[in-house]
Amino acid sequence: MAFAWKASGLTYNKYLSVAARTVRRSLKDDKRLAAERRGDMELRFAKWTNGKQGENKSLADANAASMAEAGSQSSS
Amino acid sequence: MLSRAARPALRAGAAAAASRPATQNAATFATLREIEDRLKSIRNIEKITNTMKIVASTKLTRAQRAMTESRQYGKTSNTVFEHAETKPIEGEGKKTLIVVASSDKGLCGGIHSGLTKRVRKLLAEKPDSDIVVLGEKSKAQLGRSSGKNIVLSFAGIGKDVPTFADAQAIADQISLLPTDYADIQIVYNKFINAQSYEATPIEAFSEEAIANSPNFAAFEIDDEVLSNLREYALANSLYWALAEGHACEQSARRNAMDNASKNAGDMIGKYQILFNRTRQAVITGELVEIITGAAASEE
Repeated sequence: MAFAWKASGLTYNKYLSVAARTVRRSLKDDKRLAAERRGDMELRFAKWTNGKQGENKSLADANAASMAEAGSQSSS
Repeated sequence: MLSRAARPALRAGAAAAASRPATQNAATFATLREIEDRLKSIRNIEKITNTMKIVASTKLTRAQRAMTESRQYGKTSNTVFEHAETKPIEGEGKKTLIVVASSDKGLCGGIHSGLTKRVRKLLAEKPDSDIVVLGEKSKAQLGRSSGKNIVLSFAGIGKDVPTFADAQAIADQISLLPTDYADIQIVYNKFINAQSYEATPIEAFSEEAIANSPNFAAFEIDDEVLSNLREYALANSLYWALAEGHACEQSARRNAMDNASKNAGDMIGKYQILFNRTRQAVITGELVEIITGAAASEE
């Protein structure tokens, strides 16, 4: 069983969140506003090496970038 | 009145003998003003802590609802591992990952230090474990003592009730880490009741551990789906930990602010009494001076 989304580098969690976003967007307006707030994610993260904190980056961007990279690796 | 008239003379540096009673008088007046200022600032602090308490109380109800739901959710998700009797692999050379579910904001008593202490205890048992810190507060504390173990830190947690999207994004970033961990322990504050919390770890298992569990054959899981299950279970557990930690934080903040308001109230009472006593003493002193002056001039 090979999944198309797995081949393109998405993780299961990303796959779920994309699916959830689609469902939220297809709701009626009044419900959609409340539901879309549940999908917000504004975290930042930093990598640490040898006890020093690295740069603070947006988590969403970094996740998207690493998944795009994984996708291009598996497809090539 | 007397002392106010005497003050310029005091500033001008009148003869020491003449200004002595005036100095004493001025001193009591100064303390009177000091007490008043102190009272005012304590009243302001009380107002602030009281407002923070009310804000925390309103947030607490929402946080608690999210917590009960997420707890149910996380427990259901872990039922699989209970039935499969999954255990962390006891092997040499495999690292443990400790995820600390704290938050960005302080002013809520000792719940962050409680987490940090628990993590330090875990670190003492397994000194080569890696740490992922969620939230600025524990990051600052752990960064000082064991910065070498930290591999990732997340910020921006605790503004609002944590969402599942948060947990998923964190889980993704954790599963992208280069090291293969034998097991992941998520340390969070377990909500016992409104007064007490306990830093507790939840286990999230590695693929190998799930595959090696004794009762694993009872579930018909394809190998390919297994990694999905692992990622999903990690996100579930993280969500549980974040939501419960958030509820604990709000409840702790409510208590801390409640205590602070109470202490401020006590201090206000004390200073008010002191203020009144000093004021009366000053008035009595002035009266005595006026009466003796009048009696002396009559003769």
